[in-house]
Amino acid sequence: MIRSAGALILSLLLLLVPSVSGAVLYIDINAPGGKRMPISLPDFVVTGGDAALARDLPGVIGGDLAMTSLFDVIPRQAYLERIGPEHFLARPLSFPDWKMIGAEAVVIGKVEVQGDQMTVEMRLYDATLGNMMAGKKFSGPVRRFRKMAHEFSNEVLYAFTGVRGIFDTEIAFSARPKKGRGKEIYVIGLDGRELRQVTDNRSFNLFPRWSPDAKLLAYTSYRTGVPQIYMRDLAGGTDRLVVRHGNSKSPGSFSPSGDSLYATLSVGGNSDIYRVSLTGSAVRKVVGGWGIEVSPSVSSDGKRVAFVSDRSGSPQIYVKDIGSSGERRVSQAGSYSTSPSWSPAGDLIAFTSLEKGRYAIYTVRPDGSDQRLVISDDGSCIDPSFSPDGRYLVYTLQKRGYSELKIGSVDGRWQRGLFRGLQAVGSPSWSPRQ
Amino acid sequence: MKSSVGGKRVLGALSVLLLLFAVGCGKKEMVKSTDSAPGMTPPPGEAQEQIVSEPLPSQTAMAEAEAGVAVTMERPSEFSDIHFDYDKSFVREDDKLTLREVADYLKANPGASILIEGHCDERGTAEYNIALGERRAESTKSYLVSLGVKPGDLPTVSFGEEKPLDPGPSEAAWAKNRRAHFVLR
Repeated sequence: MIRSAGALILSLLLLLVPSVSGAVLYIDINAPGGKRMPISLPDFVVTGGDAALARDLPGVIGGDLAMTSLFDVIPRQAYLERIGPEHFLARPLSFPDWKMIGAEAVVIGKVEVQGDQMTVEMRLYDATLGNMMAGKKFSGPVRRFRKMAHEFSNEVLYAFTGVRGIFDTEIAFSARPKKGRGKEIYVIGLDGRELRQVTDNRSFNLFPRWSPDAKLLAYTSYRTGVPQIYMRDLAGGTDRLVVRHGNSKSPGSFSPSGDSLYATLSVGGNSDIYRVSLTGSAVRKVVGGWGIEVSPSVSSDGKRVAFVSDRSGSPQIYVKDIGSSGERRVSQAGSYSTSPSWSPAGDLIAFTSLEKGRYAIYTVRPDGSDQRLVISDDGSCIDPSFSPDGRYLVYTLQKRGYSELKIGSVDGRWQRGLFRGLQAVGSPSWSPRQ
Repeated sequence: MKSSVGGKRVLGALSVLLLLFAVGCGKKEMVKSTDSAPGMTPPPGEAQEQIVSEPLPSQTAMAEAEAGVAVTMERPSEFSDIHFDYDKSFVREDDKLTLREVADYLKANPGASILIEGHCDERGTAEYNIALGERRAESTKSYLVSLGVKPGDLPTVSFGEEKPLDPGPSEAAWAKNRRAHFVLR
């Protein structure tokens, strides 16, 4: 029963050493297929609590780093040195022992548990130079140990690449609960752990979308019998009805400032895209037309919106400069293209398209150029949503009555499973950094 | 954290409130001071999660849970469903007899109203299908209005692809699921 990580429980006590000297160890994050960084993650030193934490914490970090394809975690059986409390005082690690087994870097950690609270100190060392590349101390409830480990994984990635990690982000999605015919909203960690159920009203709850501060989820619910947009405050657990105008409604994306929501509202059978103010009551049409206009995704500078329209006779992706009249079709792929997701850097739009009888995920530049097939499978790949660093997509894989969430790299080089524990999973949405 | 989901399942309608409660716990932890009291040592991590508090559900929550379940059920109808072509919303010739029956009923029973539900097959995207189901319901409504029914007697709702009549992935099932369904109110 873990609540939103947004309002963080952990308090960062001190940044131990900002002296990242020389940055001799460096990974070019944009050179996939290059040499991986061999790293050691020996058991943490635990006092006062569950001894399993000694391996659980470095285990979480190892899983995070392995996911990037930038690191190789050296198996613990090879380790020659055992880490003790003295290594957090004056005594240096025996770096030649770590170099001997091939490690270029070592992460050590010390855990002190008091009751249900814990303090964790973690350090990253360059095994060649023997200097500390990163060091942090966290405190918080013991049950949030995974969160602390994810945060330190972010530190490790940053130390090696200069790029902020996303290991503490989450994915919201809808799925059928184990008992029931409806759908509820769920949130799960990027490592496929810490699943939690957000809604529980036993109707259809669909299309979760994160606010820019990750504190709110907008979603569609049929709890009163008709589809309405609600806003869930994740920390408080409260819901607010967002807009009364129109019939069917679904949220598309928040404006970058978080003060309004781009949504699909249907009036008299005609679905159009509106900007709904969250601070006042203003509802303004952004994209209209006689056809079906749905699924707005706003660029990170807030100036353009990608959306779906069937004005050409079949659903396709269009881009509009907000406030102007120009609208340009950007999808050239198949006969049915939907679900645009704008990349955080604004340089790509991912979408789903049906081609040769199969739904697959494509990217295209906002001017319609450079369309690429990035993810396809033995089944339908739909509903892409960009990671906050723009490097990955979360999507739904559907095959005959079966569905799961997967994550793939935007360059199309790899995909892996994220979640398959419930029926009818879909509409994944990647949280911002928290 | 499968256990938390399992727990919710057991608690059923109470769990929204329980979640509120748990969030309350979270808040307390957030403001804890750095010097925690030594001596009190429950097993780490589990203490909060095993406290079971069951506040009584509010009237609103219970009413919504019932409405929510009702939404997911196929509602009985006096009339046959009418059907649509793939990605289309026009009323087909072979359904006009059914619509004539619906119109005659409403004209003969002042005060009655019929909810028109628009539905789609599972193919395509759920969000687009909500809009398509809406258009099917509205297209059906327009035809009934052209037969002399008052628009106010014909509320509409789209369920998109969420309520398939036949869950099977086959052409025959999809054809059954692309429909408008009439619920007398």
